[in-house]
Amino acid sequence: MTDDRTYEEKLAEFEARIERGEKIEPGDWMPDEYRRQLIRMISQHAHSEVVGMLPEGAWIPHAPSLRRKMILIAKVQDEGGHGQYLYHAAESLGVDREELIEALLAGKAKYSNVFNYPTLTWADIGMIGWLVDGAAIKNQTMLAHSSYGPYSRAMVRICAEETFHYKQGKEMITLYAKGTPEQRQMAQDALNRWWWPALMMFGPPDSQSIHTETLMRWKIKIKTNDQLRQEFINEIVPEFLALGLEIPDPDLHYDEETGNWVIGEIDWDEFWRVIRGNGPMNRDRLAARREAHEKGKWVREALEAYAQRQAQAA
Amino acid sequence: MSRDTQWPRYEVFKQDRPDKPHAAVGTVHAPDPEVALLNARDVFVRRPSCYSLWVAPESAVFKMTAYELETQPNWWVEELPEEAPEETYHIFNKQTQRRSMVAVTHVGEVTARSPREALRKAIESGQFVEKVAYMWWVVPESAIARSSEEDVLSMFEPAKDKTYRDQSYYTGGVFARRSQRRPEDIPLS
Repeated sequence: MTDDRTYEEKLAEFEARIERGEKIEPGDWMPDEYRRQLIRMISQHAHSEVVGMLPEGAWIPHAPSLRRKMILIAKVQDEGGHGQYLYHAAESLGVDREELIEALLAGKAKYSNVFNYPTLTWADIGMIGWLVDGAAIKNQTMLAHSSYGPYSRAMVRICAEETFHYKQGKEMITLYAKGTPEQRQMAQDALNRWWWPALMMFGPPDSQSIHTETLMRWKIKIKTNDQLRQEFINEIVPEFLALGLEIPDPDLHYDEETGNWVIGEIDWDEFWRVIRGNGPMNRDRLAARREAHEKGKWVREALEAYAQRQAQAA
Repeated sequence: MSRDTQWPRYEVFKQDRPDKPHAAVGTVHAPDPEVALLNARDVFVRRPSCYSLWVAPESAVFKMTAYELETQPNWWVEELPEEAPEETYHIFNKQTQRRSMVAVTHVGEVTARSPREALRKAIESGQFVEKVAYMWWVVPESAIARSSEEDVLSMFEPAKDKTYRDQSYYTGGVFARRSQRRPEDIPLS
């Protein structure tokens, strides 16, 4: 029965299933391009979680209180776990984790540009939680509706945990914004540096995004980069302004007609420069990942040896 | 680069409370079942609640989607040796398309001589589905490694004290004011 259907017939049924809101599961027929796009997106997403541990992990020894240290350790642990959920989702499509990790370590894989910027002060930890994780949640909440079952389920799990990341950051920045002049300045300085990289996280504008049409048709994504970016801006701008923080964009204004906060031009040259490996921290991030992988080797070897000995004894 | 981190994949089944069924939450890589259980705890039980974990090698789990059952009408045909021994198989399925963190949920056991036979018996019995099943998994009893009741205190209980991991910890102070975010944008549970 399967074999005598043409590619067009299978594709039509696949698209009808997606239209009906059914989830596509491993084992179901899917076009090669659907599989390819998912592997591309999910692996980039997984790498982003793993590399995302680095800018924040660097501050664990310098946390200003035990409470903040425990929160930060828990958050960084979560990011490691999220990377694992996502590698699992990618593996359901026929790739394996090791080849994805090798691509990352070899500098051949992309991950979110935002992690190629340095964390210069403790306030950056709060700003990453509120602004960067806020942007990530916006994207991930949309992806929780994705047509591919394993990706959708990983996103539901991640969003529930990520909300803690967002809230601890928002709490910290709010306290700083209402604190001493120095604390207030730290919050403002962090916002100045993270604002534009956070907005770039939604990806290139729709006019330049080569994948958008395919991704939307197959409901891998259900909103475009520009739609999500605008929704995020509309939500977060009033919150920053209410705290008396300034958005580092002289062109920012509210458009009465559309109800949108309209931003100035995003520096897309910078976006592409960082993606191509020339951001402030690209080399450090990869070097840190390689070092961690190398230093963990003896643990993997010990586990392997233990497993072999257990198997022999049995 | 050496290929040293792959290891076999284990499906992880988590039970939140003694009166709830085990549900498939994802996979971990591990060199053996013991380490698979430890990894499963680190990856999937950073928060409450967990009462029990099962792991089974992914290669031992027989999976069929509703789409496969429909497009492969002879899926159950196989040649079994006459004296193939019977075994207990655990049956899991997915009966809703609602957004969820879990793939399939434990619905019962059958005795059979192979995973295919187990699935055929499970479907024919009609006792494991209310309306429709979108996905079926069959796991032989012999492939499952389990956490024990003694593990609950050391492996799962500590997560309960780490209340700062929960978004609801941050509801006071700055969050007392009504949020300007629309509720559907932040999943709160």
